[in-house]
Amino acid sequence: MTRASDYPPPFDARDFVSEPTDPVDERIEVGILVVGAGPAGLACAIRLGQLIEEHPDVAERLGEVPVAVVEKGKQPGSHLLSGAVVNPIGLKLLFGDRYRREEYPSYGEVHGEAVYVLSKRGAMRIPPPPTMRNHGNLVFSLSRLGRWLADHAEEGGAMILPETAAEKLLVSHGRVVGIRTGDKGRDRDGSPMGNFEPGADLVAKVTVLAEGTQGHLTGVAIDRFGLAGAQPQVWELGVKEVWKVATPLRDVIHTMGWPLRKAARYREFGGSFVYPMGDDMLTIGMVVGLDYRDVELSAHDLLQELKTHPKIRKLLEGGERVAWGAKTIPSGGYHALPRQLHAPGVLFCGDGVGMVNIPRLKGVHYAIESGRLAAESAFASLRRGASPGSSLGSYDEAIRSSFIHSDLYEVRDMRQVFGRGFFVGGALASAMTVTKGKVAVGALEAEPDAEAPLLRTNRAADYPAADGTLTFDKLSSVFASGNKTRDDQPNHIRVERNVPRDVAELWARMCPAHVYEVGEADGDGTVTVQLAPSNCVQCGAITAKGGRLTPPEGGSGPEYTLT
Amino acid sequence: MATLVFLEHHGGELQKGSLGVLAKAASLGDASAVLVGAGVTALAAEAGGYGAATVHVADDASLESPLPQPRVDALAQVVRDGGYDTVLFANSVLAADVAAGLAARLDAGLNWDLADLVQQDGTLVGKRPALGDSVYVDVGWKTEPRIALFRAGSFDATPTGGGAPAVESVAVELEPYSTATKIVAQEHEESSGPSIEDADVIVAGGRGLGAPENFSLAEELARALGGAVGATRAVVDAGWYPYAAQIGQTGKTVSPKLYVALGISGAIQHKVGMQSSNTIVAINKDPNAPIFEFSDLGVVGDVHEIVPKLTELVQQRKNG
Repeated sequence: MTRASDYPPPFDARDFVSEPTDPVDERIEVGILVVGAGPAGLACAIRLGQLIEEHPDVAERLGEVPVAVVEKGKQPGSHLLSGAVVNPIGLKLLFGDRYRREEYPSYGEVHGEAVYVLSKRGAMRIPPPPTMRNHGNLVFSLSRLGRWLADHAEEGGAMILPETAAEKLLVSHGRVVGIRTGDKGRDRDGSPMGNFEPGADLVAKVTVLAEGTQGHLTGVAIDRFGLAGAQPQVWELGVKEVWKVATPLRDVIHTMGWPLRKAARYREFGGSFVYPMGDDMLTIGMVVGLDYRDVELSAHDLLQELKTHPKIRKLLEGGERVAWGAKTIPSGGYHALPRQLHAPGVLFCGDGVGMVNIPRLKGVHYAIESGRLAAESAFASLRRGASPGSSLGSYDEAIRSSFIHSDLYEVRDMRQVFGRGFFVGGALASAMTVTKGKVAVGALEAEPDAEAPLLRTNRAADYPAADGTLTFDKLSSVFASGNKTRDDQPNHIRVERNVPRDVAELWARMCPAHVYEVGEADGDGTVTVQLAPSNCVQCGAITAKGGRLTPPEGGSGPEYTLT
Repeated sequence: MATLVFLEHHGGELQKGSLGVLAKAASLGDASAVLVGAGVTALAAEAGGYGAATVHVADDASLESPLPQPRVDALAQVVRDGGYDTVLFANSVLAADVAAGLAARLDAGLNWDLADLVQQDGTLVGKRPALGDSVYVDVGWKTEPRIALFRAGSFDATPTGGGAPAVESVAVELEPYSTATKIVAQEHEESSGPSIEDADVIVAGGRGLGAPENFSLAEELARALGGAVGATRAVVDAGWYPYAAQIGQTGKTVSPKLYVALGISGAIQHKVGMQSSNTIVAINKDPNAPIFEFSDLGVVGDVHEIVPKLTELVQQRKNG
C-alpha cells in the first residue's frame, strides 16, 4: 500500500533554529514578542496593553517597544479564516464590561439551528446533537474580527509588523530569545534581487508563538524542546466561500453525510456548515478529515458538489460568490496537545498547539483565552524578583484550570471514535457528550494523516464541472482569495519531487489552491511533482499529508477580508 | 489647466508611450512637454506632431546618463517656473523613479498605474484598475501639482497634426546629491523583436503548446506579425519560457492591438493581464476553455496544425 509518509519532505526542523546572527547593536529589541496576529496573538497583545497600563513599573523594564506582533499576511486578518460561530466567553473575559455583546463586530447571534443528514438528493433533519447546539453564540468573519482586535492591540500600545514572516527560532543557551524574520526580495533561485531586504533578528524577553494551524515555528520549537504530546497531531481541511444572497438565511445549518461517503474504509470524516452573515450574506463551507484515503478526494470539489444539492442550491439562488478560502483545523484534541505549553523563553497558544474542540466545531474562544493567559504569565515573569525562565510554567497551570482544559478533556476521545464508522461513531460521540466525558472509549491509537494507506475509487468523476456561477474551479477561487503572490520568489513548499503517481495525485487533488500538478513519468515508476507555489493560500494541508509548508516571503498569500 | 508631459527617449528616439500620453494630454487641453538629455534638442520638433505647444529642453552633457535625480531637478524647475499644475508620465523604470522623486520634491500627490484620465465637472479624474483589474476606481488629487503615472500602452501614439512647437531651453541647476550616482555600465539584453510592453502584436503561448520546444510556433508567428512573444504563468513555472515574458496578474499587464493566445485556457489570473488588448484571437483545442468567453475570434483546433499554416499565410501576405 502506498502512503504519503513514505516520501518525506526535504525538511529538517533544526535548519530553522539558530543563535542570533546580527551584531548586537543591529538586533531589534522588544519586550514581549508575539508571533501571529490572529485571535490568540492579538488577545495576548491586548491583555499585555492592559497590564502595562496597570503596572507602569514593569512597563519601564520592557524597553522602547514593550509589545510587538509579527504577522506574515498583508495586514492583520489577511490569513484568518474560520466558520465561524464563536462562543463569546473569550471576548468577554478579555474585555470585561467594556463592550456589550452586540458591540462586537459580529454578524449577530445564532437564533436557530438545523442539522441535516444528506443523501445525493434528499435531506433528513435530525435533532442537533448536544455538541452542535449553538444558541447564544455569535457568527463572525474571523478576518474581520482580526482587524478589530488589531485596532485594539495598537490602541493598547502594541506595534504590529505585517508582511513579516517569522522564519527562524532564535535560541541561545537553551532559551528562546526571539525570532529571525524572513528575507525579502530573493529570486526563484534564492539570489538577492535589486530590492533585497535581509531578515532581522527580533529579540525579546519572552516570545509567544500564536501562529495558528500548522504554525511553522511552533512545530520547530516542539521538535527542538521535545514537547510532542501523547498522540500525533492530525488535521481537517476546511474550504469555504462567502456569498451575497438574495434571501437572508435565518438559521445556522450543519450537514453530515453526502457528499462524503459513510463506509468506514474510506475514512471520510467531516461535514458542512452554512451560517448567516447578516441580511445579505452567508458563508458555506466543507470540512473533511485529512486522514482520508482516496487519492482523488478534493475538499474544494466536495464543496462545489455540496452546492449542487437541491437543499443547498436553493439558499444560493440568485446570489454571487464574493470570497473563498481554505485552512486546516487541528483535530487531534486533548491527546495531541504538546506535553507542555511552554519552554524556556516561549509560550504556545491557540490552534498552533491544537486547542480546538472538534465535535463542537469551536476554537476561537480557546485561542483568545490562551492568548490572554499567556499575556498574564509572560508579564508576571517580568516583574521584579521573578526569575524569567522558571515562572512561565504558571501558563500551563493557568490553562489546566481554565475551560480550555476541561472542554477538551470532556471530548478527548471523540475524534477517534469516528474511525469506527459514521453511525456507530456518531452514537458513541453523543454518549460521550451527554455524560460529560465519563463514558471513555480509551485513547485509540491515532496515526498521522500522512500514514493513511491510499486507495483510488474514481471519485473525481462525480465532481461537477465549474460553471462560474454556482460552481468554481480552483484557479478562479485562488483569485477570489485575493492572492497575488509574487511568482519569482523562492519555493516555500517542501515536498519530495519524485513520488508514485498516487502520491502526486493525492497532493494535486487535495490542494484547494492548485499548487501541485502531476508531471512527467520518470520511467522508474514515479512521476515528477510540478509546483506553482505562488498559488498557495497557506492552508497547511500539505504538512498533514506528507510535505511541509514553510512561510513564504512576508506579505504573500491570500488577502482575506470576509472569511 | 497647464499640463506638462515627461518625454522619455532612448537611442535618439522618443518613446511611444510618452508620445501617447502627450497626445492624450493635448486632447484634454493645452499641453507642453519636457525633454531632458544630451543632444536631444532635435527631438523636440517631433513632439509638436503629438500636440505639444511648448517643449522645454534641458540639453546638457551632464544629463546624458538616464538617471532619475537630475531629471527630478529639471522637472521641478520647469514645473515651478512654468506654473504647471499637472505632470504626466508614461510608466517605465526611469519614469516611475522620476515621478516618485518629483512627488517627494514638490510634496505633490502621485496617482500611479492609471489607465485613463478624464475631465469630470471641471476636475481631472484618473481611472485606476483595482482588485486585480476587475474594476476601475476614480482617483483624484487634493493638491497641485497633480502627478500621474500611466500604465504602459494606455494611449495610442496617434499624431494630432500639430505644428512645430516653441522650444524653450532650460538651464538646470543640479542639486549636489543628484550627481552622487553615476552609471558605470549599461548592458542591453539582445532581443529579436519588440518588448512585450511596447509590442502592437503579442503571440502568447500556454500549456496547450505541449512542450517547451513548441514555443517556436509562437516565436515564428510573432516574427511574421512583427510582434513579441508572451507566456502564461503555468509555462513560466514549468521552465518553458523566461519570467520576463509572463503576462498576467503576477506578471506583466499588456494591451497590444492584437493578442494571439495559443493553447491558453484563459484562467482569470492570465485574463487580468491582457483583457484590455484591442483584439483577442484564441486558438485552443478545448471548446470549453474560458478564453473563448472573452476572445473576439476563437478557433477550436490544434495549434500544431493551425499555427504553421497561419504563419505561412502571414508571410505570403507580407511578401506579396
